Amino acid sequence: MRIFWVLFKKELRAFFVSPVAYIVLALVMVLSGFSFRAALSVLESAPSEGSIVTWTFHAMWFWLSYFFIFPLLTMRLFAEEKKMGTLETLFTAPVHAWQVVWSKYLAAVFVYCVLWIPSYLNFRFVDWITVGQVEVPEGALKGSYLILLAMGLFNLAIGCFASSLTSNQIIAAVISFTISLLHFLAGLFIMVVGRRVSETFVDIINYFASMEHIRIFTSGLIDTRPLVYYTSFALLFIALTHQVVEFRRWRP
Amino acid sequence: MISRVAFLRLGSLNDGPFVLFTLNTISHMIEVQDLTKQYAGRTAVDHISFKVEPGEIVGFLGPNGAGKSTTMRMLAGYMPPSSGRASVNGHDVFQASMDVRRSVGYMPEMAPLYTDMRVKEYLRFRAELKGLSGKTLRQRVGDVMDQCAISDVRRRLIGNLSKGYRQRVALADALVHQPPLLILDEPTNGLDPVQIRHVRELLKNLGPKHTILLSTHILQEVEAICDRVIMIHKGKIRAMDTPENLTRKLRAASIVQLELQGKGDFIPLLEALPGVRKATEDGVQDGWILFSLRVEARHDAREAIMDLCLRQKWKIRELHWQLPSLEDVFVELATTEAAKA
Repeated sequence: MRIFWVLFKKELRAFFVSPVAYIVLALVMVLSGFSFRAALSVLESAPSEGSIVTWTFHAMWFWLSYFFIFPLLTMRLFAEEKKMGTLETLFTAPVHAWQVVWSKYLAAVFVYCVLWIPSYLNFRFVDWITVGQVEVPEGALKGSYLILLAMGLFNLAIGCFASSLTSNQIIAAVISFTISLLHFLAGLFIMVVGRRVSETFVDIINYFASMEHIRIFTSGLIDTRPLVYYTSFALLFIALTHQVVEFRRWRP
Repeated sequence: MISRVAFLRLGSLNDGPFVLFTLNTISHMIEVQDLTKQYAGRTAVDHISFKVEPGEIVGFLGPNGAGKSTTMRMLAGYMPPSSGRASVNGHDVFQASMDVRRSVGYMPEMAPLYTDMRVKEYLRFRAELKGLSGKTLRQRVGDVMDQCAISDVRRRLIGNLSKGYRQRVALADALVHQPPLLILDEPTNGLDPVQIRHVRELLKNLGPKHTILLSTHILQEVEAICDRVIMIHKGKIRAMDTPENLTRKLRAASIVQLELQGKGDFIPLLEALPGVRKATEDGVQDGWILFSLRVEARHDAREAIMDLCLRQKWKIRELHWQLPSLEDVFVELATTEAAKA
């Protein structure tokens, strides 16, 4: 466990000494500002069913920034060490592969959580500035950040896996971006084909439709199914990453 | 066997790397038996066996791609052998990889480092990974920085350091946990002559307390610091001996160089001497005639040549017996292989 903390500290440090964390932070801050502004203008124009939370996380700006976060945060993790050859020094020190994999993954998760602090503060500020004029439903807010965390765990694990496959950061980024986006689009598919397909098919698609999950959670409902879905797939991808990293230790 | 069982149990109770070493009663530091590594159809290391005793400095010598790095990686616990067995400090490299890594200070080829870290910070990180903490950690990091002469750059970013400094940072990392065995892959690669001398001195001084296995293709290095040489070519061991014995056993004939003045039939008279196979005239330099004689291996023909010169009343300016160097062994090894292939 001590080794894990040493590695975790080093990974976190690597995020904040390179410009990556700051660039992503700036990107997310600006675009979540835009989506917040978009939500406010929706509420301004006409009475609406959804709360400010719902509209913020349904804004185009939000999804625009969302899929750039994961490749940017994770592409470096293994690919850079492979390219520099430091994986060899790392694995000739008495460290286990799981310590390396989890320290890298959880450092990325930590940074991901930090990214959402400014967006959370937006809700707190609007509450404070308008002296409670704009209703910020507490349950919906907590639910939104819960599902964001679950989706983050899932997509970061994909990014981790992609990074372990190659020594080229660009390729890692493209792989993780493609998988994340395909997953999202498969969920979006249902919106395109509409109601022309059978009920069961819609239900199946809704199991992994991120848009649908966001819709449920931003309305203040906490559904355990997506949470289990995202975390179990995250574990699967982390296990795969572990296998890839340990590949050199396989015996033919 | 009993001592080994006791040792294993103590090893699992005690996580410290040093306890393992002092309790260790196994005599060989490295024991390699029929070690083989295959990559996708290519055999990098082909059934090699050797032993290294504690305190020895052993040089791994061979042309590029001979299998030196692969062997060292296996010994450092980085990757498992395809077949065969290797143990370091009594621990099997596959079964007890963590114990092996604790006993080894490994420096990979090209000295890969985290370029965004500062020197001291990096060494602290590595020392923590290797299980040091608190006062020992601070002291060891300070000590190795002094030992490797990198204290003056301790606050610099590794990415901004020259190759020579980086190489020494990597060496400091290998030394930091005081491992009984050092495995160094081309430790002097990319250093300038002064730095090379410094590193060699450092390694020599580490000698008795540490066992060192180093690879190189610089022959003087082996002659200067190694107790024993293992020559490896195309994944197989070609020769294994002390540097002196190796040069002595050399099949290539040695050469005597001569510079003479005088009259007479130089060539036939010289070739008539015992042990001289062939004499050739290499030209004339400011009035002196240059000869080179191929003499049989280990045959010192100098006295006979001197006597001949006195008898013939030749003037002599130079008489030099050129001993074969490891370089000749090395070249012979590589070229005879190339000729066969």
